[in-house]
Amino acid sequence: MRRRNAGWIALFLLPTVALFLVIYALPLVITLFTSLYDYRLFPNRMDFVGLQNYINLFTKDSQFHRALANNLIWIVIHTTVHIALGAILALILYKKPRGWKAVRVIYMIPSIISNAAVAMIFANIYNPSYGVLNSFLRGVGLPALQRNWLYDPATSFISVTLIWTLFSGYNTTLILSQALSLDDGVLEAAKVDGANRLQQDFFIVLPLVKPMIATTMIMAATYMLQMFDLIYLTTRGGPGVSTTNLPLMLYKTAMTENNYGYANTIGVVIILLGVFFMTLINRLLKTRED
Amino acid sequence: MTQKTIAKRETGELRDRRPLYARLPACLYMLLCVLVALFPILWVIMSSFKTNAQILSSAISLPTGISFEGYRMALEVSPILRYFFNSVVIALISTFLNVFIVSMAAYVFARTRFRGKGLLFSVLAMSMVIPMTALMQPVYQVITSLGLSDSLPGLILVYMALNMPLTLLIMRATFAGVPQSLEEAAYIDGASFLYTYLRVMLPVAKGGLASAAVLAFLNAWNEFTFALVLTRSAAVRTLPLSLSYFTSQFSFNYTALFAAITMAVLPSILVFALFQEQVSQSLVIGAVKG
Repeated sequence: MRRRNAGWIALFLLPTVALFLVIYALPLVITLFTSLYDYRLFPNRMDFVGLQNYINLFTKDSQFHRALANNLIWIVIHTTVHIALGAILALILYKKPRGWKAVRVIYMIPSIISNAAVAMIFANIYNPSYGVLNSFLRGVGLPALQRNWLYDPATSFISVTLIWTLFSGYNTTLILSQALSLDDGVLEAAKVDGANRLQQDFFIVLPLVKPMIATTMIMAATYMLQMFDLIYLTTRGGPGVSTTNLPLMLYKTAMTENNYGYANTIGVVIILLGVFFMTLINRLLKTRED
Repeated sequence: MTQKTIAKRETGELRDRRPLYARLPACLYMLLCVLVALFPILWVIMSSFKTNAQILSSAISLPTGISFEGYRMALEVSPILRYFFNSVVIALISTFLNVFIVSMAAYVFARTRFRGKGLLFSVLAMSMVIPMTALMQPVYQVITSLGLSDSLPGLILVYMALNMPLTLLIMRATFAGVPQSLEEAAYIDGASFLYTYLRVMLPVAKGGLASAAVLAFLNAWNEFTFALVLTRSAAVRTLPLSLSYFTSQFSFNYTALFAAITMAVLPSILVFALFQEQVSQSLVIGAVKG
């Protein structure tokens, strides 16, 4: 632009670039680099092992297989069931039935409070002795169904999954905002053509909000790829490895086993999966204009 | 009353004029969403007013009286106010610094030309595709070698970075949308680069700044994973992290446990209720721009 502005431009960029270098670039380089090393604290060592960490991870480590499978299943559920629950509500609310604003706000509440709090609430709901779930089952005369929901290997996975699947307020808000911005004329035209409510919703409105659905799906996939707090605070990945995922395994490998090279190999897998899902969803729903 | 109803009908545009049985599924679904969102929180609040014995004997019974004993005990056992204060400090400072420095960079990317701009932006944009959870171990390493582990500045630095991609995108789009003529007029009047930015551009970018700040604050306020990885001592513990200690701290004092959870979630819900329009709008802007 103007030559004399070069100094200002550099000054304006400097803090952000520095922040990027220290907290993103450097850790990324360390992650990629140390994934090729047997690098750990006890015993303290750093030996180059090539792709051995990756080979061990994919061919020998059954905990990793389980973590990866859980992670993928959760991503699939989160990008389908979870989004669908929110999208259905958005398709109801955009017609502005009585109380639609209140419903939107209330359904958002669980998405606004911290995951740590949600996890604590559900740890109590599922608690075998005073939790509301077992208490309810006793109340309706089904005491045989009582369980230790989070720590029984038969129910731990589904119990943890429910904690995040049902609360789709964020997606409702996003999809609703796009549905509300649609031109009324489109719907009027559909009515004239004789489309009924359901047909209107599915063949006219749904395709028009597809770009926002694609966005929510990408966010859901990256969110679930990084899911840590809700699992850590309820089951810590257990019992056994039944509810473990990649971030939990990374955390355990790095922070309790101090096996840094191996932990960062898991980190590389997470990064690659992130890129993969972003590309996949964009391809499938080829609707993002930008 | 009647006047109010009429006004509501006019503005609410009740488009669905079908008989009740046709609207029933939609009404039920809305009701279900409201119940799913409210029940867990209401159950926790309700339980915080019950005695231990009442909680254990029946989880779904209503409290017999309103007693704040649980709250008194909770504050005695756990310095929740201290953790609350830590969270406020960390979220406010990291949000302010994030928006302050990243806006400067965003302005340069939106409004100036210099060699390597495209390349530099693509490199910074990498931060958007890297799940930071994958970099847990090296981020810990970097923060430790900066001497910032187990400290508020360490967490602030990481939260600034965590919110960098979103703020950068929102602010770049905001500045790009400001009419070129405003800036040119300022330059013709002889304003400097810094003056133009501070006095001409920032004031018209208020909307974007607010959205970026709301999102950065929410993310920092609710963050758990890095708070767990980067801190140890109670002096720097954040509110979400403190929740993970509640179960052991309140071992068998369930009343206090529920009171503590209530205190941890109520501020978020109140703030959201007050600013829900702004928060929802920010979420939409963040999703569209990011």
